[in-house]
Amino acid sequence: MYSILLLFYSSHKNQFSMKLPQHIYGRRLSYIDYIYNFFATLTGLTIFNWEFFKQAFTPPFEISEVRKHMDELGVKTLGIVSITGFIIGLVLAMQSQPVLQRFGAGDFLPGMVSLSVVRELGPVITALIFAGRVSSGIGAELGSMRVTEQIDAMEVSAINPFKYLVVTRVIATTMILPILTMYVVIIAILGGYLAIIITESMSFQYYQSAVVNSVEFGDLIPGIAKTFVFGYIVGIVGAYKGYTAEGGTEGVGRASTTSVVLASLLILIFDMVLVKITLWLWPTLG
Amino acid sequence: MADSRVVEVKKLTKRFDELLVLENVSIEVLRAENLVVFGKSGSGKSVLLKCIIGLMKPDKGNIFINSQNILELTIHQLNKVRKDIGFLFQGSALYDSMTVRENLSFPLKRHFENMTAKQIEDKVRYTLDLVSLEDAIDKMPSELSGGMKKRIGLARSIITDPALMLYDEPTTGLDPITSKEISELILNLQKKLNMTSIAVTHDLICAEIIADRAIFLRDAHVAFEGRIEELTSSHDPFLKNFFSHEIIKA
Repeated sequence: MYSILLLFYSSHKNQFSMKLPQHIYGRRLSYIDYIYNFFATLTGLTIFNWEFFKQAFTPPFEISEVRKHMDELGVKTLGIVSITGFIIGLVLAMQSQPVLQRFGAGDFLPGMVSLSVVRELGPVITALIFAGRVSSGIGAELGSMRVTEQIDAMEVSAINPFKYLVVTRVIATTMILPILTMYVVIIAILGGYLAIIITESMSFQYYQSAVVNSVEFGDLIPGIAKTFVFGYIVGIVGAYKGYTAEGGTEGVGRASTTSVVLASLLILIFDMVLVKITLWLWPTLG
Repeated sequence: MADSRVVEVKKLTKRFDELLVLENVSIEVLRAENLVVFGKSGSGKSVLLKCIIGLMKPDKGNIFINSQNILELTIHQLNKVRKDIGFLFQGSALYDSMTVRENLSFPLKRHFENMTAKQIEDKVRYTLDLVSLEDAIDKMPSELSGGMKKRIGLARSIITDPALMLYDEPTTGLDPITSKEISELILNLQKKLNMTSIAVTHDLICAEIIADRAIFLRDAHVAFEGRIEELTSSHDPFLKNFFSHEIIKA
C-alpha cells in the first residue's frame, strides 16, 4: 500500500504534500481519512528526505548560512538545555542515592549517574527539548514564509528555496545537537555531584575520577552518534511541516505544533532502534 | 514567432480538482507593452500569472517567453529565464528576517557574483531612490506601512533590471491616493527601464494609468480584449456592471 501511495504521490509531486483536509464537505475526518493522511505524511516526508540528500551534496553549499543557523540555534537553546541538564543530573542522583545505599552500592552512584546520562538520558532529553524549541520554530518560520509567498518570491527570483531554507537548517540542526548533548552531559554530571554533596561529603576529585573510571569511550560514542540522527530528525520534520504548510495563520500554527509531536515521536522510535543496533554491533556494552 | 512577442500564452487550461479556472486562454504581450488582466476575484488572474512564471503547471497549453516554451525547460533553464523577469506579489512577500537592504541585495548577491559590496550598496541605494524610500534602507519589513512594502517589493523586483515585469494586484489593500502613487510609479519605472509588463488587477484607476491594452477574464475564458477605454465603454451588461462598481469604489 505504501509503495502504491508513493508512486501515486510521486506523479502528483508539485509540492511535497498532498491536501490534508480537516473537514470534507462539512463532515469530520473518518478513520480512513486519518490513515490516508498518515500515509500521505509518511510519503511526503520520504520524498522530502530524498530531495534533501540530492541537494545537500550539490554546490553551492551555503556554508555561511549553515554557520548562521548553528549560531542562532545554539544560542536559542543553550539556556533551556543547561537548566534541564542540570536538573536531570540532580534528580537522577537524588532518586538513585537512597536506592543504591539500601543495597550497599552507594559508591557506584557517580558511575551510575554518568553512565545513565552519557548513554541515554543526555542524548534523548536534549533531543526532546531541542525538538520542542527548534522543530516548532523551523515549522513556524518556514510555514509563515510559505503562506506569505516568501518562498514563492525566492523561487521566482531564480533562487533555490529548498537549498537556502531547508538544507541549511537541517545541516545546522544535525551538527549542533551533538555539541549541545556533550555540553548537557557535562552539566548533568555536575548536577549529580551537587545532589551528592547535599547529603554526604565527597571531594570533587573523587567524584571526577569515579566518573572517568566508569565511563568508557565505547559508552560515549553511541550516545553522541545517535544525536546526529536526532538532530537530523528535528530539522527535517520542522522543515517539512513548515515548507508544506497551507491555509494561512491556522496552517502555520498547525505546522508548528505537528512538527514537535512528529519529531518527538520519531526521536523516541529511532532511539529504540538505534539502541538495539548499538547493542547488536557492540555486545560488550550491554 | 515574431521577435516582438515577449510573452505568448497558447490555449492554456488549468483546473483545481473539479474547478475549471482557465480554459483555452491565449494572450500575447509585445515588447515594451503593458497588458492589464482584469477579472472578478477567483477568475484565474493570479493563476495565469503564476503559470507564466512557472510557479504553477497548467494542465494544457503552452507558454512562450522570448520564444522559449517554459513548460519544456528544466528547472536550471527555467531559472535562467526567471532571472530576466520581475514579480511583484500581492502581499509584497518581503523576507521578514531581512532588513530592506538585505531584501534588495539578496538577489544581487545570488546572481551577480562579480559585483563588489560597494557596487551592490550603490545599486540598492539607487533602486530605493527610484521608489523614493532611501531612508527605509535599515528598516525591517514589520516596520513598514502597506504602501512602503509595495514600493520595497517593487524595488526588489526591478533591482536585477528585468525585461519583463509581472504584477499581482499591485494596488490591492492600499488607499486610493497611495494606490494612484504606486500606479504612477509603475508607469514611470516601466518607461525609464523600458520594461514589458503584465499586471493583474481589478483596480480601474491603476489600469487606466498603466495599461496599453487590457483583457478581461470571465468564466475561465478571455471575454474581452482591447484598449481600456473600449473595455470601460462596453455595452456588455456584465462589464458595465463590473466597471460601474469599480468607478463607484474609486
